[in-house]
Amino acid sequence: MNKVITVNLNGNAYQLEESGYEALRVYLDGAAAKLAGNPDREEIISDIEQAIADKLRALLGPYKNVAATAQVQAIIAEMGPVDTGAGTPVNEPPPREKAGATGPAPGPAPAAPAKRLYRLHDGSMISGVCNGIAAYFNLDPTIVRLAFVIGAMLTGGVGMVAYLVMAVVIPLASTAEEKDAARGAPPFTAQEFIRRARAGYYDSMKGFPDRQSRRAWKRKFKEDMRAWSRSFKWQAHLDTCAAQSHWHNYWAEHPFMEAGWGIALPFLTLFNAALAIGFIIVIISLLTNGTLIGQAPPSGLPVWLTIVLLLIAYNFIVWPIKAARHAFYRHGLCGARPGPRVFISLWDTFVWIAFVSVLLWLALTHLPEVQAAVSNIPVVFHEAKDNLHQWWSHH
Amino acid sequence: MILDEKFAPIRKGLLEFILLKIIATEKVYAADILKQLSATEFATQEGTLYPLLSKMRREELLDYDWKESEAGPPRKYYELTAKGRAQLRETSEYWQKINETLKQFGQK
Repeated sequence: MNKVITVNLNGNAYQLEESGYEALRVYLDGAAAKLAGNPDREEIISDIEQAIADKLRALLGPYKNVAATAQVQAIIAEMGPVDTGAGTPVNEPPPREKAGATGPAPGPAPAAPAKRLYRLHDGSMISGVCNGIAAYFNLDPTIVRLAFVIGAMLTGGVGMVAYLVMAVVIPLASTAEEKDAARGAPPFTAQEFIRRARAGYYDSMKGFPDRQSRRAWKRKFKEDMRAWSRSFKWQAHLDTCAAQSHWHNYWAEHPFMEAGWGIALPFLTLFNAALAIGFIIVIISLLTNGTLIGQAPPSGLPVWLTIVLLLIAYNFIVWPIKAARHAFYRHGLCGARPGPRVFISLWDTFVWIAFVSVLLWLALTHLPEVQAAVSNIPVVFHEAKDNLHQWWSHH
Repeated sequence: MILDEKFAPIRKGLLEFILLKIIATEKVYAADILKQLSATEFATQEGTLYPLLSKMRREELLDYDWKESEAGPPRKYYELTAKGRAQLRETSEYWQKINETLKQFGQK
């Protein structure tokens, strides 16, 4: 859902999505700034507004007047930067394919840039190979990393060599353009928007004759930037809240939760902690004597697989509790009255961490079974590796 | 295209001449001009065209009247002034001369 803003373009009313409106405003403000000192400034601006209005009308037809952000951006790209014609010749040739479409046929939206495989350092773990591959194939980087680790384990080091070769061979994306190319079509993010606006800003600066107006423009720009980034952040925040709303709604319908949250939450937490401890005890018993607290696991099932199954079962049991707690946090963060709720959730987190860490420490220092279990972990890990290896060579 | 880039200033300089030529033949409005230019090397965007038209009007090379359009608001139709036509003549002659000079170079 996007906010829609009504604009008046030289006497024509149009409705634009908010980010499209911002883009248009940057364009028109930039044009006005560039034309500072031009005696025909007002006239040129109104000509430009009229041209944009004509394009919008051609694009939307007679019965529709809400333009999407992408449409507004395409129109701005078609308009091209306002050229004062005063001094410096433009370096770039006018893009021929974009200039013509002023008639009823709207120009196509700017084509997505070609994708290329790069190493990406933003958010990478080692050298950005997995990150780059993930960006190229639109995958979660964690999945690619896991695939690499498992692959390296199964192939006994060949995967490692492959990784090293890729780290050397694949170029690193260092400029903004390369990073865009690594990700394919860049989404219109706040950063991208601000980057573009800033480019326009420095461009406009050149056109100012004296220091005074330069300074005024600078101040105004900074204020605008701050306001925009605030509004973008707010929008992102709202989106997050909306995405969680089904949880929120579900738990909000239960009035006892509403009244007793402060009391209920620590209990939920303790229950959760008790479950976690139970789980840990089961794991420990499994690691030390190969039984599920006295009960033998199904025969033929290796220990590591049992642990994986237990993990899944545990998460399945714990999920509603987690959901309830999350809903509570969301409520605290997105609801109208954050107030003491935030402190309760902080307190809750603190209780949880302290409780678990104290118990773990006690267990490690005082219970020989736990120590034995911990020393058994490498054995189980090797078993898992061998099993996977065998499975791999059999298939 | 390297040539495209190299000749950008020259194309830019010639744009005014071309506008004079286009407007001399008939009364046109801005979108017409852009359409005529779009298929050529001189493809131009509104951001460049409007400031240039305003500049030329200020130099009294051209003028415009408002005319109703079948769809939408009235449009500015541009036409050349006497001064504009004189300028067009002079520029044409000058351009001819430059072309002659260009041809002469490299010939024996």
